[in-house]
Amino acid sequence: MFRRVCPPMLRGVLSGWVVVQWVVALAAAAPDGVRFNRDIRPLLADNCFSCHGSDAGHRKGKLRLDTVEGATQTNAAGRVALKPGQIAASEVWQRINSADPEQVMPPPDTGRTLTPDQRGKLRQWIESGARYEPHWSFTAPVKAPLPAGIAGNHPVDRFVTARLAAEHLVPAPEADRWTLIRRLSFDLTGLPPTPTEVDAFVRDGAPDAYDRLVDRLLRSPHYGEQLARHWLDVARYADTHGMHLDNERQMWPYRDWVVGAFNRNLPFDQFTIEQLAGDLLPEPTVGQLIATGFNRCNVTTGEGGSIDAECLFRYAVDRTSTVAQAWLGLTAGCAMCHDHKFDPISTKEFYSLYAFFNSAADPAMDGNILRTAPTVQIKRAEDESRLAEFATRLGAAESRVEAAVAGVAYVDPAEQQPRPPARDESVIWLDEGIPTGFKTDSNPTWVDVAHGVVFAGAKALQREGKGVVQDVFEATGEGFTLGLNARFFVQVYLDPANPPRTIMLQWNRDNWEHRAVWGEADGVPWGEKGQPSRAIIGPLPATGRWVRLEVAAETVGLRAGDRVKAFACTQMDGRVTWDQLGATGRVDPAADPRHSFAAWRQGYEGKEPGELPEEVRRIFKNTKPTERTAAQVQQLREHFLTRVHAGSRSVFDPLLQEVAKVRQERTAYEDGIPHSLVWRDLEKPRESFVMQRGQYDRPGEKVTRDVPAAFPPLHAAGTNASRLDLARWLVSAEHPLTSRVFVNRIWLQFFGVGLVKTTEDFGTQGQAPSHPELLDWLAVEFRETGWDVKRLVRLLVTSAAYRQSSRVTPELWQRDPENRLLARGPRFRLEAEQIRDQALFVAGLMDLTPGGRGVKPYQPPNIWEPVGFVGSNTRDYRQDMGAALYRRSLYTFFKRTAPPPFMAAFDAPNREQSCTRRERSNTPLQALQLLNDVQYVEAARHLAQRMLTVGGGTREQRLRFGFRLVLAREPDARELQTLSGALERHLIRYEREPAAAEKLLAFGDSRTRADLPASELAAYTLTANLLLNLDETVTRN
Amino acid sequence: MDPLLEYHVQQTRRQFFGTTGLRLGSIALGGLLAGRGWGDAAPAVAAERVHPPLPGFPHFAPRAKRLIYLHMNGAPSQIDLWDYKPGLRSRFDEDLPDSIRHAQRLSTMTSGQKRFPVAPSKFAFAQHGRSGTWVSELLPHTAGVVDEIAVVRSVFTNAINHDPACTFVMTGSEIPGKASIGSWLAYGLGSESNNLPAFVVFTPTFPSTGNGQALYHRMWGSGFLPGRCSGVALRGAGDPVLYLPNPPGIETTDRRTMLDALNQLNQQSYERLGDPDIQTRIAQYEMAFRMQASVPELTDLSGESAATLEMYGPDVKRGGSFAQSALLARRLIERGVRVVQLLHRGWDQHDNLPTALRNQCLDTDQPIGALIRDLRQRGLLDDTLVVWGGEFGRTVYSQGTLTKDNYGRDHHPRNFCMWMAGGGVKPGTVYGATDDYSYNITENPVHVNQINATILHCLGIDHRRFSHRFQGLDQRLTGVEEARVVKEILA
Repeated sequence: MFRRVCPPMLRGVLSGWVVVQWVVALAAAAPDGVRFNRDIRPLLADNCFSCHGSDAGHRKGKLRLDTVEGATQTNAAGRVALKPGQIAASEVWQRINSADPEQVMPPPDTGRTLTPDQRGKLRQWIESGARYEPHWSFTAPVKAPLPAGIAGNHPVDRFVTARLAAEHLVPAPEADRWTLIRRLSFDLTGLPPTPTEVDAFVRDGAPDAYDRLVDRLLRSPHYGEQLARHWLDVARYADTHGMHLDNERQMWPYRDWVVGAFNRNLPFDQFTIEQLAGDLLPEPTVGQLIATGFNRCNVTTGEGGSIDAECLFRYAVDRTSTVAQAWLGLTAGCAMCHDHKFDPISTKEFYSLYAFFNSAADPAMDGNILRTAPTVQIKRAEDESRLAEFATRLGAAESRVEAAVAGVAYVDPAEQQPRPPARDESVIWLDEGIPTGFKTDSNPTWVDVAHGVVFAGAKALQREGKGVVQDVFEATGEGFTLGLNARFFVQVYLDPANPPRTIMLQWNRDNWEHRAVWGEADGVPWGEKGQPSRAIIGPLPATGRWVRLEVAAETVGLRAGDRVKAFACTQMDGRVTWDQLGATGRVDPAADPRHSFAAWRQGYEGKEPGELPEEVRRIFKNTKPTERTAAQVQQLREHFLTRVHAGSRSVFDPLLQEVAKVRQERTAYEDGIPHSLVWRDLEKPRESFVMQRGQYDRPGEKVTRDVPAAFPPLHAAGTNASRLDLARWLVSAEHPLTSRVFVNRIWLQFFGVGLVKTTEDFGTQGQAPSHPELLDWLAVEFRETGWDVKRLVRLLVTSAAYRQSSRVTPELWQRDPENRLLARGPRFRLEAEQIRDQALFVAGLMDLTPGGRGVKPYQPPNIWEPVGFVGSNTRDYRQDMGAALYRRSLYTFFKRTAPPPFMAAFDAPNREQSCTRRERSNTPLQALQLLNDVQYVEAARHLAQRMLTVGGGTREQRLRFGFRLVLAREPDARELQTLSGALERHLIRYEREPAAAEKLLAFGDSRTRADLPASELAAYTLTANLLLNLDETVTRN
Repeated sequence: MDPLLEYHVQQTRRQFFGTTGLRLGSIALGGLLAGRGWGDAAPAVAAERVHPPLPGFPHFAPRAKRLIYLHMNGAPSQIDLWDYKPGLRSRFDEDLPDSIRHAQRLSTMTSGQKRFPVAPSKFAFAQHGRSGTWVSELLPHTAGVVDEIAVVRSVFTNAINHDPACTFVMTGSEIPGKASIGSWLAYGLGSESNNLPAFVVFTPTFPSTGNGQALYHRMWGSGFLPGRCSGVALRGAGDPVLYLPNPPGIETTDRRTMLDALNQLNQQSYERLGDPDIQTRIAQYEMAFRMQASVPELTDLSGESAATLEMYGPDVKRGGSFAQSALLARRLIERGVRVVQLLHRGWDQHDNLPTALRNQCLDTDQPIGALIRDLRQRGLLDDTLVVWGGEFGRTVYSQGTLTKDNYGRDHHPRNFCMWMAGGGVKPGTVYGATDDYSYNITENPVHVNQINATILHCLGIDHRRFSHRFQGLDQRLTGVEEARVVKEILA
């Protein structure tokens, strides 16, 4: 990252340095207090390692300073960078203090210099022996003995208090019970406590009251929901593919699996193994397969024109980096282009890790579909019986068709004497629904008279839209054949309140270049004006009534005998209703394939017509007319009568529609059975190579699956290491990182800052832990006690450190603004989901149903639409109704390219990349949202209703009630007075202007009770709105 | 200064202007602090800007104080707009010679094509202005201000598909997750406005004939930079800023009453707990209240003269139009906003290019000409940088059927055109050249990273020294490789 060219002279001087392998040098801390890891390594990392670190490709002068071997090597010129104990003989020291701009280090053009304090430390370190230490996080943690001489038994407190004592600080007293139960409820369930729960806890005099509270909350089904949110940030879970169309992806069973895993307290080692290699376990359960979705959560594309190899490369890199981030706390992604400058991951090692993830069976192109293979179907208990039911119904419907065939008395007109005369015929193609033998993907709307206008029959086709919108019907069979002098016709009704600019009919014979246009000739972009590809027939018909439009087939370039394989009703803007679309034409029954069995056969003899079903096609292709068996002739006849013969349509169309209907229902039902994207490897693994400079098309040296050499070796069960081996390696006892990294992230969730603040970076560029011994103790304890997450959580929240009051003095704030020393309790803003969930919960609106497809709560217009791709199925936001508006925020549909505003405004990541910690910003956009967003105002109205109906009879009782619901404590006299004063003013205002009150109460989908006086409910709504906006409300104290 | 207060001020710098980039007016904050008995420090706070620059920024005297970036999303055809190739007329429907195409990478949309027939532009070009720059007939208004601009005809990029290419041009990386150029500038330079976000984005409407690709929040997102640096999308439909207006039945006076009580209660919390974040929140609520007035004032065009409105064209009255967005861009920078971006969609002409491209230009050309003139007339062009461009170029050969009047063009990352005007730019310049087919760069290639380095340079920033530590790395807008500032187009 810091490419710079060494001055030529320097290059000459240093050219004799020898390259050495990265080796962990063992040494103790310098006795005088200057420690390599704490004081020296960060200094060298910032100033030297970019040119003199582990990246061999960018190393200058062949000198590396990150290892003792490299730094103490004598070069060709006989100089040594570091001579332990001899400051004057150490070239490093000379260079740092050189006055010569050609000689001085770091070079002036890097803009880096050492401060006097840093120089002092460096000097001290060299003089005392220049002892290196391995980077703390790359050696396995060991349990230090609990600090002695500290009161109390809790291990966390022993470490925290010892550190405080060293800093001459004392812990804060325990927070009051009201604060504690709210803190704990949010941390363990993401929801506030109810007043009943608060009262019970506050009154509980038993010594184990707090412990029992912890146990109750750990058993709550909402515990899993709370813990899962953080993991889903790490796993970059979302409900869309993330690129280009950003269409919906069905992945939510994975999200629900994560919730369930935390709730049933799946040990973290198993949690790891199932997500990385559940498919490789013996006879994996459906749940274990769902778990492998972890590495299917990455962003994928379906963009036309993309290059497969490039996409596959990206996916494998993302998956590798995410695993490194999630379990190792390392930013391995840097090594995709060059040796890691600061951490011991070479490019080759990165690609050796990548080799585990480079053979995924999912395609380069996600296809923009809901279920990009491989997926697992998740059958529920009732599914088998329902599917059997469909099979029975389908069999019955099909046998009715067969029975009807027997009842048809058909005589081929070609065999009739005299030959029947030619006659005009009118055939309606589109009337009451999708025509028999056609399909559509355009999701048509059929209206009846109650919901629109209908020309004839019970239903008509209607569409409303902006821009060019259409319904397209495509033949799955033979389509419609045109007669002589054919003319198309249709009934159309244009909405006078919302007329289109253009309407158009289109037909497809071999292509779509057959169009008839009414209205603005430029309203649709296709074809050439005045040609059959865009024939301009006339102005728009009159609006507000049914008008029959006609156009001769030849005008659009079609003629007798042409088979129409698809047709479309298209419009530019407006609302259009279509009915009875069809064609007239003159037919000679004896020669017409829709009347004469012989004529129909004649058209197909010797061909292999794709539009016919397989078995019928095969007869035409494989047999001569004279050689057919009776059964074959019968099969052809059956097909002709049921699907083709015009005179039998009235018999078979209804029967076939019934068959189609059952099929459709069955498909719809099957579609309703959820799937989840899962991991599977290709039968034959892809070879992996070091990709030079991180480019997908520049493979270099071939690599095999392995882990970086700085870590304990991988034990492969077979000849080739598998993902299962990798997963087991991650959770092996000797692994230095996995346990530390996870424990640290859990710590972050309860204390607001990780013991290692840079949760995403445990490498040499990350911050050192605030309490190294505590982190290591917890990491070992966690592993030794079976990776038991609930046990770990209980350990943290039962500590006195966690239970402290958060009150802070200016002196303490000044000393430790981030509260890294824990001389007070943790206090921080609630997360996006918690803020919304709290409002719905205290309002009594929340629907706590767990799981299922993402829901679409209130969202202002124009969040998805302005960024959405035309044709994306996540372009138009269709808000849900009813209870779905009030589900927990975890279940909100997450579109990556336009995340839900309530999430984005409150620092939720956009789930495009793995995220291990969220920012906590404090912005006016947040204020506007909490003040004005309909979901918070609606929640305030319901909270107000609760205050008025169950809060008590007096204003004070009602205010107290609302206050307690939101803040889980009693208001003091001043607070009551302030609230009461505001309420009084709101009351006066709404009594004076009841119309304004009515307007406020009508905001939001739900209704509140009509028997409450509007002005009073409005005044309380505004007061409740205030309560939901308090700093204390959006903060977990 | 009182150390606690100092910390607090630092916190306010960091946090006060969150995602919108806004913060309580300094007077209100100063007043609060003064009320807390830290009176001496209050004037220092009052003098502070709402969006302060990073220490040491800008690195040197900037030529431009602000940026208006016109992003034509989908990749406008350089051959039909700026890169005049008269020699192609006589080569209609000839196969693109292998000597030109070599074996270069094609998008898979045309890599299966049997032929690569040359499609000359059907549009006439003429020289304009004193500079004599060749401009297509599709851009008469831009042609009218061509002496103000510097055209780079030799820009190239890495990606061949929209999503990665857009992500690259806006964030310097094809992989999602990095910070956008606007957020970098908001981060480094802050903003002079105390009432509006530092970085504002428009996503105007586009013609129905346009082939609209998707936009992504990441194009104006802040990535690893603080969330407050993220662009705020001023919306053309609905509320210009999300949740700006009070709900129905709540008037400004009601809100004031409510906020007064809210502030009092929050103040009481602060007294009880001592957490300075509470003070920040009070300030943010006040800022939100002020925005409810400042944003409608911004979008109210009634003060604009008839001549100005006419200059931008009839669409200027239509909410969400490119014309109106362009005018609002000027109003925003007048009010001190640092970066305004217009992301106009519909430029992906794989087919029907002649009709669709004409409509795209009809939608944007007049407002762009007007914007340059308007800035010039008001003396703003001297210290405002205007940038125009897409994410890559288009092929000389036709995608799909080629006729005299109709053709389409596929993606072409090997060369395309961008232009810059205003602060720091050498006006009337043309830089870089391509071969006879506009297929390969023959002179002075300019990578997208160099464009971005040049933009930063105009704004007084040395891109090599502008980095942010994230995931253990010093992240940079202009990437790892050395990226040169294109001094040749600078005055």
